[in-house]
Amino acid sequence: MLRWVAARLALLGLMLGGLVVITFVVSNITPSDPAALAAGPDATRDMIETVRREYGLDRPLPEQFLRYVTDLAQFRMGRAVQTGNQVSDDLARYFPATMELVLLATMLSVLLGVPLGILGAVRRNQGLDHAVRILAVSGVALPAFWAALLLQLVFSVYLGWLPTSGQLSVATAPPVPISGMILLDALIAGELGVFREAWSYAVLPAFVLALPSIAAIVRVCRAEMIEVLGADHVTAARAHGVSGGRVVFWLALKNAMLPTLAMIGLRLGWTLGSSFLVETVFDWPGIGLYAVSSAIASDFKPVMGVTLCIGVTFMLSNLLIDLAYGWLDPRTRSA
Amino acid sequence: MPTSCEMGSGMKRRDILMAAGAVGAGMVVPDAWAFERVGDRRMLVFSGGQPVPVLDPHVRYDWSTRMMQQSVYDALAKYVGNPAKVIPWLAERWETSADGLVWTFHLVGNAKFHNGDPVDAEAVRFSYERAIKLNKGVAWMLKAYLDPANIVAVDARTVRITLSQPYGAFLSFIPLWYIVNPKQVTANAVGDDYGQKFLTDGDAGSGPFRIKRWDGQAVMALDAVADYWKGWPMADADRPAGVIYRVVREPAPRKAALQRGEVDMVTEMTPDDYDQLAKMPGIVVTDDVGMTPFTIQMNTQKGPTADLNFRKALAYAFDYDALIQIENGAAVLMDSPFPNAMTGHVAIKDFPRRNLDKAREYLAKTPYAKGGIELDYTYVAGLEVERRIGLALLESLQALNIKINVVAQPWPTLVGRGAKPETASDLVAVYVTPVSPDPDVLAAQYASTAAGQFWAMHQLNDKQLDEMVAAARLENDPAKRLAAYAAIQQRIVDLQPCIFGMLENRKWAMKSYVKGFEYCPVRLTGEADLYAVHA
Repeated sequence: MLRWVAARLALLGLMLGGLVVITFVVSNITPSDPAALAAGPDATRDMIETVRREYGLDRPLPEQFLRYVTDLAQFRMGRAVQTGNQVSDDLARYFPATMELVLLATMLSVLLGVPLGILGAVRRNQGLDHAVRILAVSGVALPAFWAALLLQLVFSVYLGWLPTSGQLSVATAPPVPISGMILLDALIAGELGVFREAWSYAVLPAFVLALPSIAAIVRVCRAEMIEVLGADHVTAARAHGVSGGRVVFWLALKNAMLPTLAMIGLRLGWTLGSSFLVETVFDWPGIGLYAVSSAIASDFKPVMGVTLCIGVTFMLSNLLIDLAYGWLDPRTRSA
Repeated sequence: MPTSCEMGSGMKRRDILMAAGAVGAGMVVPDAWAFERVGDRRMLVFSGGQPVPVLDPHVRYDWSTRMMQQSVYDALAKYVGNPAKVIPWLAERWETSADGLVWTFHLVGNAKFHNGDPVDAEAVRFSYERAIKLNKGVAWMLKAYLDPANIVAVDARTVRITLSQPYGAFLSFIPLWYIVNPKQVTANAVGDDYGQKFLTDGDAGSGPFRIKRWDGQAVMALDAVADYWKGWPMADADRPAGVIYRVVREPAPRKAALQRGEVDMVTEMTPDDYDQLAKMPGIVVTDDVGMTPFTIQMNTQKGPTADLNFRKALAYAFDYDALIQIENGAAVLMDSPFPNAMTGHVAIKDFPRRNLDKAREYLAKTPYAKGGIELDYTYVAGLEVERRIGLALLESLQALNIKINVVAQPWPTLVGRGAKPETASDLVAVYVTPVSPDPDVLAAQYASTAAGQFWAMHQLNDKQLDEMVAAARLENDPAKRLAAYAAIQQRIVDLQPCIFGMLENRKWAMKSYVKGFEYCPVRLTGEADLYAVHA
């Protein structure tokens, strides 16, 4: 087991190295000049050179790469040209907002996906099942951008139930940051009014972000439930008079949850990566919005930082799933 | 024994209730975002799509940044009105020597920074020196004419600036050079950063607002300075508690926010959005002739567009009326390379308009007399108006048997490629807002020294024009200066580096209770003077 874990960790290190190289190369082959953009629209050539020197962009690429890797080893990611801040500081500031959204989205996807998957399986090929399947397909097929705008139109403009964008009303003072997640911090501070308001701002973006995950979880959960509900031991249980609820929740769901849990774990990484569009439409001040703003300005250090951040989270979540599978089913260790 | 269907029925109710509860809990919301207030005063909420990552007035500017800089900082003079004029602000008056080299500014006596320090001549000297030494943001405007050693604080209220050579546009830049508090900047400097880190989101100004809360990517809240040294233009009861700039990047949610009353003013909407908003009750849309020329720049150094006759052919083939249609009538066609509101603007006789006979005549003088070639028209990805203009161009040039590839590129890529003639597109759609109404700003965009900048992706290189621009810049006599710029405009049109398009009207949409908004064409795109606005 230990050798297998060590091999997995070594592979993770290799992938991380690959990710660093790829993000650096991609960032530097684009035909744009971050120094020129940062120096401003009317900057003279020597003004652009001033910015270039200040941020080390005048150095040869191998030297820039070496410096970047050295910085990474010390948990630094260079300076953002746009803001002048250390990228690691910016990430520390914006990451909690993204995690808040991702955790909410994951929570919503479990709360909606699992019950709907069960419903679809139990009412297989009936109207409700068809509706659930349509929802599952739509969740994957609908572009997040479009779904976000549509939901804003319905819930904010027509119904007036929810605010359009942002994280909190502009007049409301955010709670004292402890975790950086407004909802959690509001709860810790006992500011229920702020919590309630923050929740109203979070529900739409979290739902849009959750849509593909809901769809994926519904599909897996439904398929597994159908398979288990048709198994011999379930039929035998029914024949012995075990109640319907017990059959579904104690026999079927328990067995169907393993692949579903794996899917939930996998979707966590995907959801983090999908936050870019959702954060942009809802102006949610997380790392996705930070990356988009930086990319528009060709400020690649932040983009590389966010990519690494998401990449590492994705790899770690996959590693944990691998380890969990290896622990639960020793046969997979040889794979 | 219950069937699976019956079991499902029971679960259905429960699960649906759970799901509805989870989503519904978020829908019971307070009405806190209806209208922002502090005590009995209103907070005006302005929304645009552009963040303000750096507030430092000597490091960066764009429309949103400058709007916030002007709210927090003061300059010696200020732009107001339409047409824009320079009025005294921190300087109550100024005079210049006969040769235009020495400028003496006399400061008001009552101006003070937000921390209570007086705004004195040393603050002005320090600020100008800082701007030049940092060599960022506004530095390009004056650094060729201004040696820090020649900026002298004569006494507490007098600053003397001696230029290295006469510069007709000097005064036009003074409203854009803001004054910072030297004591705060020096006290907060980190190493040799000249206070840049501090001023990224810090406040060392004397302007009508002070920073209350700052997140340059999302929300910036400013408190009104009740005892602002200049006073307020509205009655005390109407003075807002402050202003909030809220960044909403996409036009659709921005429009929704205005409709819902989450914000009071918006900018950067599409022409269709403005039209729809104008028809809604309780919303007013302003509509003024802008100062931002839209041109289709042609690569004068490479490919078919390097041929002057070819460029003339395109200019005469383009359907200019399509521009007005695309803008839903909210634009005027250019009749000179200079916008109408610019000092020295003259309407050029026989300015190119669609005339297919003339277009064919010019085309016949080129190696492409029968067309049969393809050109790339590049525009900024996401700008719908530019995309539609590309389609209009495509349709226009079919008459010459020229095919247009409409190519969308992200702004950084477009600018990066446009930096060199070899990589610049054949045709590029560009809006350029001049930073001042002085004609030198526009004329310089066609000098060879500008080639490769985003506003000069035409790569024009004409020795005669270079000499004309350099001579006009040094001219101190107003009449001779105007004549020089009239000749420059004619020369630019003769060289036809662009298809000169239109001046898009500037619009802001706001709630009908918003008062005091004054349009000033020299402000950048969405920029508004928040000092005078109240609700």
